[in-house]
Parts: sequence; C-alpha cells; structure tokens
Amino acid sequence: MIYQQTTYLHYQCLQLNGEVDLHNSPQVRKQLLAILKKGDSVLVDFSTLSYIDSSGIATLVEAFNIAKNKQLTLTIVAASGGPLQVLELTNLDKVFPMVANLTDVKE
Amino acid sequence: MKLNRRIEHCASTEKLCQIRAEVRQACQQMHFCQEDINLITLAIDEACTNIIRYAYSGDESGRLIVSIFHNESDAIFHLQDFAKCISPSCLEVRKKNLTEPGGLGLQLIHQVMDQVQLLPPSSSIGNILELKKHLPLL
Repeated sequence: MIYQQTTYLHYQCLQLNGEVDLHNSPQVRKQLLAILKKGDSVLVDFSTLSYIDSSGIATLVEAFNIAKNKQLTLTIVAASGGPLQVLELTNLDKVFPMVANLTDVKE
Repeated sequence: MKLNRRIEHCASTEKLCQIRAEVRQACQQMHFCQEDINLITLAIDEACTNIIRYAYSGDESGRLIVSIFHNESDAIFHLQDFAKCISPSCLEVRKKNLTEPGGLGLQLIHQVMDQVQLLPPSSSIGNILELKKHLPLL
C-alpha cells in the first residue's frame, strides 16, 4: 500500500511508503482530498518514503492550497534523503510547514 | 561515446519504478554520489513521465527506450519515443510560481541536468531527448 492512515492528536496522519510517482500519486491525491473534505488537518509522514516525483509534489501543493483555503493545515513530517532534496530543489521546503518527527507536532 | 545500458519498456507508469532502479545502478557504476544519483534519477523519471503523459497521451502500447552512455566528461542519457515529433520549444521552461500546477517536471529536469536538448529526428516518427550531466571528478 502506498500509504497508511492513522490519527495523531487531532490530525489525520498519512504515512507515505516507498516510491510515489505518476503510477500511484492519484491514490495519494484521492486520500488527501478526502481527509481535507472531512475538515481535518493532515500530517504527511515521509519517514518511510524513499522517492517522490513532480506528480506527488503537485499533489501536496494542491492539498496544501485547499487546506489553507479551509483554514486547515498540511504539515510534512520527517522528510529526508531524496524526497527532502526535491522539496529543497523546488523551494517548497520554505512553503510547507515541516517538522523532523511526529513528536515535534504541536497539539 | 560508450553505451553503458539500454532500457526498453512499454510506455506504462507501472514501468517507471524499474526504469528508476536501472538508472540508479548505472549512476552508481559511473561513481556519482548519492545526492546526484537521487537527482539524476528524478530527472530521467520526469522525462519518462512526460513521454508517457504527453507524447503517448497514456497509450501504453508505445515504446520507451532509455540509453545511457558516457564519454570522458559526461554521463549522457537518450530518451527515445516513437510518438509524433515535438518542437524544441516544448522544452522551454516558463518561469512560474511553484505553488501553481503544471510544468514542474520540466523545470526539475533543467535544474538537475547540465544540458537538455532534442536531437534532430532520424525519421519522421519519434523523438530523442538528450540529457547530459558532468561526471564526478574522481
């Protein structure tokens, strides 16, 4: 499964697994938009994510913009390695709220 | 110019993962550092994604060939499709706000690679995109 969903504090946490690309980013998009439609803020956990392409990044940007319009939040958790490089390359590390660990998330 | 590897698949998103794995292996053999391997793999993946999405418009019967070469100074990647010829202007990057949709893949390719160009078509069908990255100094 490309993601696992859990509840953490008052957030829905979507843990992304393995590699997100054009093949599976529509699944991630569908789930992220469903969470936001229910009115929940979301944590996107990158701790078990090894790769993300521009379709995955575009999905996160779309969800981030929707969250902002609904006065919800979308926070990236534990980005490292290749996925962090992509965020830095696109300067989105300065756009998305990011925390190093789930325990750093404020209630 | 020496051929390191030739990867041929149908133009399906299911094959992207295999293509990335082979590109990573080829980059390791050319002694790129892990950071560069991540970025080169991203650039090749984005180019393959564009071929699947735009050149073939999702038609999975199309063929996609990634040939990896090196010379004294560069790693050279040729991405070949057999779709309708495209104009070199399709490779131009428009300055954009990154929080707006569209064109991010092409922008990443240009950011990562040292040279991006369409080779002159050898026939009336298909395109060859050439991406070059300077080899690491050993």
